[in-house]
Amino acid sequence: MKQIGKIIATEKVPTTVDEFYFWTDKELIIKPFDVVKVNHLKNSITFGVVEEISHLTDNSSFLSGFISSDFGDVNYQQYTQRIGMNYVKAKVVGNSQGIFTPVLDGSTVSLASEDDIREALGLKEVKNPLPCGYIEMYEQPDNVIIPVHFNSHFLIGPEGAHLNISGISGLASKTSYAMFLLKAIQDQYLKMSKEESVAIVLINVKGRDLLAIDENNDELTPDDINIYEMLNLNTEPFQNVKYFYPYSKDIISSTYGRDVKSQMERDQAFLYKYIFEDDKESIDLLFSNVDDPNQTMESIVNYIVTGQGGFNGITNWNELLKEVYEHTKAGVSGKDKEITVLSWRKFYRLFRKTIEKTTIFSNSISINPKEKEIRLKEAILNIKKNDVFVIDVAKLDEETQGFVFGDVMRSIYELKLGQANDRNEKDIPSKIIIFIDELNKYASKEVPKSSPILRQLLDITERGRSLGIILFSAEQFKSDIHDRVKGNCATHAYGRTNAIEISKPDYQYVPPVYKSMLTRLKQGEYIIQNPVFRSLLNIKFPKPIYKQFKNG
Amino acid sequence: MKDIRKILEEATNGICYDSYKYCADEELKVPTINYEENQSFTLLKDRYGETDTSLKQTKDLTKKAKQLYNSEPLFKFFLDGSRRTYKVDDIEINKRVFPIMAGQIGVACCERINPNKFTCKELENNLALVLPEEANPEIKNPELFFNNLKDKINNTPRVKRTGLKFSTIRSYSSRRNDDSDEIKYENLGIAIIQDEMVDNEKKIVANLTIKNLLNENSYLLKDGSLQYKPMKSGEYKEFSKIKNNYRWVIGVSKLFNPEFSKDRSGKSNAAQLAKLPLFHRTPAYMFQHEREKWSYLGDNTYSVWYVRIREAKHTESPFAGILKIEKILITDNEKENGLESDLVDFITVNIINERNPVCYGKDRRWANHLYPVYLTELFLKSKFLSDIHFLNLF
Repeated sequence: MKQIGKIIATEKVPTTVDEFYFWTDKELIIKPFDVVKVNHLKNSITFGVVEEISHLTDNSSFLSGFISSDFGDVNYQQYTQRIGMNYVKAKVVGNSQGIFTPVLDGSTVSLASEDDIREALGLKEVKNPLPCGYIEMYEQPDNVIIPVHFNSHFLIGPEGAHLNISGISGLASKTSYAMFLLKAIQDQYLKMSKEESVAIVLINVKGRDLLAIDENNDELTPDDINIYEMLNLNTEPFQNVKYFYPYSKDIISSTYGRDVKSQMERDQAFLYKYIFEDDKESIDLLFSNVDDPNQTMESIVNYIVTGQGGFNGITNWNELLKEVYEHTKAGVSGKDKEITVLSWRKFYRLFRKTIEKTTIFSNSISINPKEKEIRLKEAILNIKKNDVFVIDVAKLDEETQGFVFGDVMRSIYELKLGQANDRNEKDIPSKIIIFIDELNKYASKEVPKSSPILRQLLDITERGRSLGIILFSAEQFKSDIHDRVKGNCATHAYGRTNAIEISKPDYQYVPPVYKSMLTRLKQGEYIIQNPVFRSLLNIKFPKPIYKQFKNG
Repeated sequence: MKDIRKILEEATNGICYDSYKYCADEELKVPTINYEENQSFTLLKDRYGETDTSLKQTKDLTKKAKQLYNSEPLFKFFLDGSRRTYKVDDIEINKRVFPIMAGQIGVACCERINPNKFTCKELENNLALVLPEEANPEIKNPELFFNNLKDKINNTPRVKRTGLKFSTIRSYSSRRNDDSDEIKYENLGIAIIQDEMVDNEKKIVANLTIKNLLNENSYLLKDGSLQYKPMKSGEYKEFSKIKNNYRWVIGVSKLFNPEFSKDRSGKSNAAQLAKLPLFHRTPAYMFQHEREKWSYLGDNTYSVWYVRIREAKHTESPFAGILKIEKILITDNEKENGLESDLVDFITVNIINERNPVCYGKDRRWANHLYPVYLTELFLKSKFLSDIHFLNLF
């Protein structure tokens, strides 16, 4: 392959086990993340990934540059250009024979072939390959495009699980990337044997983003389609999709979706409701973002759920509200002095606000199949292999969004633990992937420690892998997220972010050049960290395969 | 395992003292030393170095320099020689003690292919050892003796291991001397190494000529004077034989003794020179080898003039920023009438236009340095072994 330079080891900057420096021609175009190879001992080859590129001349000072332009003549041209070269810092990612002694001064550095790049980055012979994008390396005419595959066992278990995507809104296209991976997963499992199976639950938190994922994207260019084909993915949108919209009489007041009716006719859309009798145990989820240092809210929820005081025999939300109201009156709380009237009043205020604002809390569910009314929990407990559930919460208020999300997680947890119903274990999908955007709402560092949703998330990230519950999450700023939640994610995808974010300790192990690259990444470009890869990878992925709505 | 000293002792019947080894160059910071042996040349008072005899004062070339600003530069090749000398030991022969001198000699010629591309065209990089004449136990065939000795030394494991080779072993006159500085044995040894370097320079110029690389559009700029001191030894000692190689070669000295600059009447014009305005040149003068002393060498004449390439206010001394330019006169016409004044102007203008970039901050002689020459020197120095490395061969 093309030789591009030679190793330099100096007194002050020696080559080490981890890194080396080499010079290149100042006009050679090379970029961070490119792979280079170095001839090393015993005919082995050491691979490195470019981290930093610097240009230097023998100019000793700025002043010298000024003098060289004839004491500041901007039009001055010289017969000889100052001698200059580029030197490149590269991180060692491996050696073909496992030799990790530092590379030697003067060793030849060259561009790597496609095969070399795969070997260097650990992309060769990936078991259980799952496409996660492609890498582009070098400049024309030496450029190479290589599809990149995760080992799916490290993305969705059993070896490692959970994915976290971070990046600023819009530019990072977090949802698109998560959906690209989910599409690849569905594709793969549809092809695979029946033993392993997967189901996907998506929470749609904004606009109509995920409300037409089974429809084609008409804007795909032939180039985009070629990429899908290169990655060995079919170009069909998602299959077996079911949409769950919050119930309201006119539908449009509780969702941004516009095709709900037609989806309902196709038996694809349902309206979900919460019925007091069945869902009262979940009301703690409504208070997950309420600061509750003395756990009074929790006590009240417990009080209600166990039917203490006057709460025995209540059958609907209105009665509950009335009963709570009774407790807010001075002097009534005699039965349980531990909960003060003030706490009851707070509970009442918060609870009434939610109940009155949303339409999903209802007295009964219509048995008319045309109405498509459903209890969300029931639907989830009956999720089938290869199903994709899209649960729309976009138009709900924040508390209710949390409530629904928490309830979904709980239901999945119960399903996988086998507590909820007596489904045959063989019929339950072996893996259920939950995708939630704006994770910061539920698992940020500021979320009260007592939050039931946070506890649920911690449960999933810490124990979900063995149960087959996988969390795909996205947020704008990774640094906001609870350490245990992000710490348990095996795979991290970093999209474009801003300078303030990269100054946070989360990024202290990212080399400076990659950090600044993070602030410049284009749409459709990610930096990926996965235990299978020997270093961070800068990957690209194609445009979404499903219908896009330009205005949300 | 025999080391070099053991071999020397055996071959010369001498005793090595294992004395302190050191680098004999005075200026370690600037290993290139330009020997300015002007004493051996005399100004021809009755002759002019250029055809325009009317030029009495200096000549302003600012306008011409600007005109040629965008044209192809005249100088394509740049030559520089450098050596580092070391006293590596003392040897006792016949109850007399002599120093053993050694040196690293480097001569490089770099080519400027375009403003962005500068490459090495020719490189001579040699190691030399200098012993007293008496080191040869026989009176005959000193060359054979020293050649054999060279082979033996090159075959020692220590030298072999480093992959180096001594290219020559030479001798200095071991005539008893009265310790005056000029003929100190050590300096005699250094002079031999210097001669070896000059010989290498001539070899490279000869190579370039053989390859037809030099012509009227492609000059060689040599760092330092062209006024080669007559040499006693070396492949190219007879300068008159190789003089024609120097048709397209210009010598540019950045360090010169202003005392030796003289006007046509033979008086020192150092003070005039200090006042030389920017981009002005002096008239060209004609110089010759001292006739009486070196007449056997033939009639070598030179044209010499000075030019200021940097304003005195920017430099640390009034002579910094002034370059001394020399050209050997080849044709009979040139020897008679001096160089064409237009050619003198053209060469000067090209040197003026070479003034940038500068090595300010890297080399104290920045005001007198031309960047391509500086680069050549840098390249050359990078090829030298470190002093510690070299001294520990012994």
